Amino acid sequence: MKKPIVFTSEREMPPMAVSLADMGHNRTGSWRYLRPVYREKIAPCKNACPVGNDIPRILSLVSEGRYEDAWRLFRETSPLPGVCGRVCYHPCESFCNRKNFDEALSIASLERFVADACFDLEDRIPERPKRSEKIAIVGSGPAGLTCAYFLAKDGYAVTVFEAASQPGGMLRLGIPPYRLPREVLDREIELIARWGVEFRTNTKIGQDISIEKLWEQHDAVFIATGAHRGRALNIPGEELAIQGLEFLKAVNVGKTIALGKQVLIIGGGNTAMDCARTALRLGAQPVVVYRRTRDEMPAIAEEIEEAEHEGVQFEFLAAPVALRRLNGKLEVQCIRMQLGEPDASGRRRPVPIPGSDFIMRADAVLKAVGEEPELSFLSEHVETSEGIVIERAHGILERAGIFIGGDAQTGPSTVAQAMRSGKETAQAIKSFLRGERKPKPKKLEEALRVNFSYFVHQPRVPMPHMPVAERITNFSETKRAISSERARAEAQRCFSCGVCNSCDNCWVFCPDAAITRIDGTYEVNYDFCKGCGVCAEECPRNVISLVEEEL
Amino acid sequence: MTPTLTGTKKVVTGNHAVSYGAMLARVQVISAYPITPQTQIVELLSEMCANGTLRAKFIKVESEHSAMAALIGAASAGARAFTATSAHGLALMHEMLHWAAGARLPIVMADVNRAMGPPWSVWTDQNDSLSQRDVGWMQVYCESNQEVLDTVIQAYKVAEKVLMPAMLVLDAFVLSHTAEQIEIPNQTLVDQYLPPYQPVYKLDVNDPRSFGALAPPDVYMELRYKMHQAMEEALTEWAKADEEYYELFGRRYGLIEPYRADDADLILVTSGTVTSTAREVIDELRAEGRRVGLLKIRVLRPFPAQLVREALADAQKVAVIDRNISFGMGGIFAQEIKSALYNTHDRPPIFGFVAGLGGRDITPKVIQEIIEYTESHDEPEDLIWVGVKR
Repeated sequence: MKKPIVFTSEREMPPMAVSLADMGHNRTGSWRYLRPVYREKIAPCKNACPVGNDIPRILSLVSEGRYEDAWRLFRETSPLPGVCGRVCYHPCESFCNRKNFDEALSIASLERFVADACFDLEDRIPERPKRSEKIAIVGSGPAGLTCAYFLAKDGYAVTVFEAASQPGGMLRLGIPPYRLPREVLDREIELIARWGVEFRTNTKIGQDISIEKLWEQHDAVFIATGAHRGRALNIPGEELAIQGLEFLKAVNVGKTIALGKQVLIIGGGNTAMDCARTALRLGAQPVVVYRRTRDEMPAIAEEIEEAEHEGVQFEFLAAPVALRRLNGKLEVQCIRMQLGEPDASGRRRPVPIPGSDFIMRADAVLKAVGEEPELSFLSEHVETSEGIVIERAHGILERAGIFIGGDAQTGPSTVAQAMRSGKETAQAIKSFLRGERKPKPKKLEEALRVNFSYFVHQPRVPMPHMPVAERITNFSETKRAISSERARAEAQRCFSCGVCNSCDNCWVFCPDAAITRIDGTYEVNYDFCKGCGVCAEECPRNVISLVEEEL
Repeated sequence: MTPTLTGTKKVVTGNHAVSYGAMLARVQVISAYPITPQTQIVELLSEMCANGTLRAKFIKVESEHSAMAALIGAASAGARAFTATSAHGLALMHEMLHWAAGARLPIVMADVNRAMGPPWSVWTDQNDSLSQRDVGWMQVYCESNQEVLDTVIQAYKVAEKVLMPAMLVLDAFVLSHTAEQIEIPNQTLVDQYLPPYQPVYKLDVNDPRSFGALAPPDVYMELRYKMHQAMEEALTEWAKADEEYYELFGRRYGLIEPYRADDADLILVTSGTVTSTAREVIDELRAEGRRVGLLKIRVLRPFPAQLVREALADAQKVAVIDRNISFGMGGIFAQEIKSALYNTHDRPPIFGFVAGLGGRDITPKVIQEIIEYTESHDEPEDLIWVGVKR
């Protein structure tokens, strides 16, 4: 600091309280206890996406009409955008910040739009070093396909073993075509194959080839066989009921199944919904019998709604206790339930009401009370409970190079969760083969503080559906594509949470002129930033964080 | 006056006269919040900004407090800044009015005199502006639309010379919404009269200084002394600015204006539009041979005490019409005049009349009654309520 100026008379003083000396030495930044830092954050949608799709950047590309770039960006993180745009339960939308402003972005329909718009595009496959390591993937469902894609991209020699005649696993066998048209699935599998992935179909593990053999012939093995064994009802006459999943598989591979008119479906999960809607399309009048109420149904809400719209009936708080055949019909003895205390899943437990038995009649009964992994090919090597591996310490899974994932590991879950597992396994296999430690997932800060003042309300673009009357007579896709105009308008609703788009707000609002613009980015001059936090407050997208100064 | 640089004649309202004045003064930043009866002033200015007639930044704000704060920022950075408001809007600015004056920022503002609520009123009286008498702003009360326009330009001239903000005041509706023919001066001449503002000290990131920082007791009083000195200096500057204006545009108004007061026994003191009505009454009474005159107070701050003393020195009686009331005391112009005259010898008795509050008309008949009351009473009275239904 310079020598202070001392006034001896008012004539020496300036008219107002202004310093006569340059105040550049007065580093007002020293008053600060909070420091603004430009720190891009992960958007909650992206964070919620099991495969980590970079949704804000993808939507930004869509909003500019750059669909090809958007599609290529999807394919950086996921080999199945066409599939996911249709069947994913879109947790991204549940976490979208915009839902607290008006309505969440319609991310799923945009993913589907991009995939459809780019249906004929090919991945650009670069010249890359071929790696000598061979990897076997058992199962070609979403976990196996995703794992294969990411390994093949890195130059590994990948062979996928599939018991069925065509790859796709549950995507092909479990999900009906009115939700996932087969040409979409075929196309995305074809693109995975283009990376050099070899598919060996009609090859069942434990029957056509043993796990031991695979392990000997490959450097790593990924078991992604899914959860295909339908659970039992454990009631008398059980054998009269058809396994729902087997019914779906049969229909989905084109077999003709005659169910009759009255069809009961036991269960409240996604398989039950698929069974009911498939039966409906085969001319039946399906009734879903579920032991709890609609609120406790484990199926994705959208699937339940679709089933309701299409005319599927529901019998809630009812559970079968016995099946009989009587005069060519099936007689299902049911008991009425009531809801008791919550169980381990947090849902209220169904409790039978004594003496409330009643009879329901049907031409066919489909049981869809859950599936579990079928791991008999491992049975000598691991201990399982309800098909799920519980002890691997002394089994084959303990061997170096054997990996398990997807539904085979967890029991039935979603397509996206299986894909996440496949992707993570690909990374784990790479680390294993390179003798590296598995990289720790980075903990990312979520962008949750969007400044709504900078946005205008705009309703969500609705997903068009085929009229119900048209839907229930065939297996064509029920949801329709949105138009290019609507897709762009919807994508423009994205807040781009946590992503700086050089809006200049921080620069404009800084009362200390302590922010400088450098080619669309910003720099804080901490010598003069007083830490007031206006920049962070006025940043529409939560890019600026306030960090406490270390004293 | 250069004949080639004459202005244009136009019929405009008092509000738009303000707008044209600001336009001719080439204000650079306008920040305002709408309030009846002022809104048209900034509406026209915003249109001028939008269509490029006026190269100024128009800042929309959420309150009058912010409007003045924005202008303080603009003026601190060296811009010529303007706003307009009325009544409650002016009251809301109060804190920032002190700041503008203390920071010595030559901001000019138009206040359309409107009565304060409650009860709600949109009509004219002077309590809004007089509530801000002591904040350090110059105050100029206008009588006509032409005077309004001319005063905007003169105000910048004086304000930028002495570094004190200035408020020109016009009566709600009587001026603000009433159209009359005025001359819009030639821009080239106005530019000659009012060159761009050249601040001595301004906010500049390349020359960082502290503004408005803490002043300890050993300097605070000096800065206040200098503000008062500036106001004293402004008395001379208003006179000079008025003369210079006259030379270029042919009009002048004075700080005060005596009208037929030279040999008057009774002098009526007015401000604002009441003055025009009073002129008529004085003319009529003069025609009857009565020795009555008029004194218009145009500049209230700085108060031209010496001029007032001289103007009233020979009067036998003085009657002041106040369109305002200081509750518990009386009319404010009357207080000012009494206070200016108290230390003189042979001062005339002063009668204080309060009339026309909340926009009630002060008609020629009312003014005549005031004059007759004063003539017929010997002992001065501090506060006479005119026309109150009792």
